[in-house]
Amino acid sequence: MNGTERMRIAITKGRLLDQSIALFKRMGLDCGPVEDPGRRLIHALPNYPLDAVLAKAPDVITYVEHGVCDLGIVGKDTILEKGGAFYEVLDLGFGRCRFALAVKEGVDFFGTYRTRRVASKYPDVTHEFFARKGMDVEVVKIEGSVELAPILGLADAIVDIVETGATLRANGLIPIETVAEVSARLIVNTASMKLYKNQITDFLSRCETELGRSGV
Amino acid sequence: MKAIINTPEGTRDRLFAECAERRQVQERLIRLFRRRGYQEVSTPDTEFYDVFVQSGSAIPQERMLKVADPSGRICVMRPDCTTPVARVAATKLRSVPLPQRLYYDQTVYRASPAHNGTSREIPQCGAEFIGARGMKADMEIIATAVDALRSCGAVRFHVEIGHAGFFRALAARLGAGEEQIEEMRALIEGKNFAALNAALAPYDGDPAAVGLRQLSRLFGGVEVLDEAEALAGRTEAIDGLRTLWEELNAAGYGPYLRFDLGMVHQMEYYTGLVFRGYMEGAGEAVLSGGRYDRLVGVFGRDAQATGFMVDVDAVARTLPPATLPRLRCVVHFEPGCLGQAIEAVDSRPAGTCELSPCRTLESTLNLARDKGVHTVLICDRDGEREVEV
Repeated sequence: MNGTERMRIAITKGRLLDQSIALFKRMGLDCGPVEDPGRRLIHALPNYPLDAVLAKAPDVITYVEHGVCDLGIVGKDTILEKGGAFYEVLDLGFGRCRFALAVKEGVDFFGTYRTRRVASKYPDVTHEFFARKGMDVEVVKIEGSVELAPILGLADAIVDIVETGATLRANGLIPIETVAEVSARLIVNTASMKLYKNQITDFLSRCETELGRSGV
Repeated sequence: MKAIINTPEGTRDRLFAECAERRQVQERLIRLFRRRGYQEVSTPDTEFYDVFVQSGSAIPQERMLKVADPSGRICVMRPDCTTPVARVAATKLRSVPLPQRLYYDQTVYRASPAHNGTSREIPQCGAEFIGARGMKADMEIIATAVDALRSCGAVRFHVEIGHAGFFRALAARLGAGEEQIEEMRALIEGKNFAALNAALAPYDGDPAAVGLRQLSRLFGGVEVLDEAEALAGRTEAIDGLRTLWEELNAAGYGPYLRFDLGMVHQMEYYTGLVFRGYMEGAGEAVLSGGRYDRLVGVFGRDAQATGFMVDVDAVARTLPPATLPRLRCVVHFEPGCLGQAIEAVDSRPAGTCELSPCRTLESTLNLARDKGVHTVLICDRDGEREVEV
């Protein structure tokens, strides 16, 4: 909070932002400035001591970890990939999807002594998943459409975010195992939690009340 | 070949004000430690890797900076100060009667992921109270921790006390397996409220589960101890914390103290009471410490101990920027007048006056103009006189 009495929250831009705004509005927060952001990246909420910062998902974690934002809303996918030291206090319930391991239809991924190659935008999540299985794999990081890698013959499988599975099916891939469930999380800087307990718990309990009411 | 002019990532040059700010924090801490009877020790920058493995240090291997000694044995740049001090206490100080109060002022080195803006070289000042048995030692070390932050000029800060004993008592009553307990511990430490609820769902109705569910929220002022008692009845851990609080509060430390019963760190060398210091303006703990009753024993002398360290840079960053003295006078001296000139420099406030190395008065006047100094003091056989530039 850096000496001011307002808290600062970093929110992941895109879909999570829309759903965060919806939640805040149900909590009675006036989100006018955030709904019409223009080119501004930081917005003061008029009826609650909170400033909203809009950022890309990994940056949300960076800002919260360094304490320049007290709170953050970010997907569990980014938390799993990037890690870091903060409190992950609430599952906000929206932005639900999962990390899945997917292979070309008909491929027996596990039934071989050969070392498999797996393509992913999330190399750390992938490594961690196979390390837990005690299985050695080669991980190739892909920046764009990961589905291409098995089609082009670069990889035997992919680990990626799956919502409906439509993209996978369209490319002849099928999910064979869930790596992790993903949804939006509310994270808190460890020092802020201790220094501004009252403000933070007020915000948390408003979130919890609303999430409880909507049955998430 | 073009010279390399940058420093490696995670390291930096410190100039002027940054040095002054760091030095100020170090001096204030050292003054306090000495006043409380602590004596300085200094340990090597590199030690055998095995020393830190034996100690059960919580620092993962990949965070240690490794080097090899001339025989090829693996060494690390000191990743932590408590372990080497415990080693010294158990070996070099083997025959010295306990308790021994030791302090250090040295740098720890930690490898960090690329581009995350953290330093690989972290100056720390810390106090270790070796042979510190019982509650009075805990009181003394926590009072010293509060005074450490206060002496640095911190205004809005507190020292937060945790004890894993309350968690262990509840977990034992729950009768869960070791794996589940470890899972819950991680969730409580991460204040992962929602996931903790889910993990405790199978134990619904068990009073210990109710307590555990609340544990990650049990932080704040002394009322936390009452809440804990209301949840779980009397436990040794809470009774101990209350005794500690009463004595410290009576001594005037109450306003600076908080509790967090969810501060349940993973197995590391800390064995009981742990504490952290938080300061407004710092995004993470600036002070951390606790009881490590088995660490000195690892190196061959059974001695309970407690201590803490202060992250010097983290504290320095929260303080107002240092003001440096401004050069106001340049001294020009003629042959035979060096002694007189040095005396003139020494008699003025440090940093405000310096000797001119120029041979002629004219070059000295030019030098003064370059440096934006308005006064030149001339020392010659006739004495001293000032000239305005």
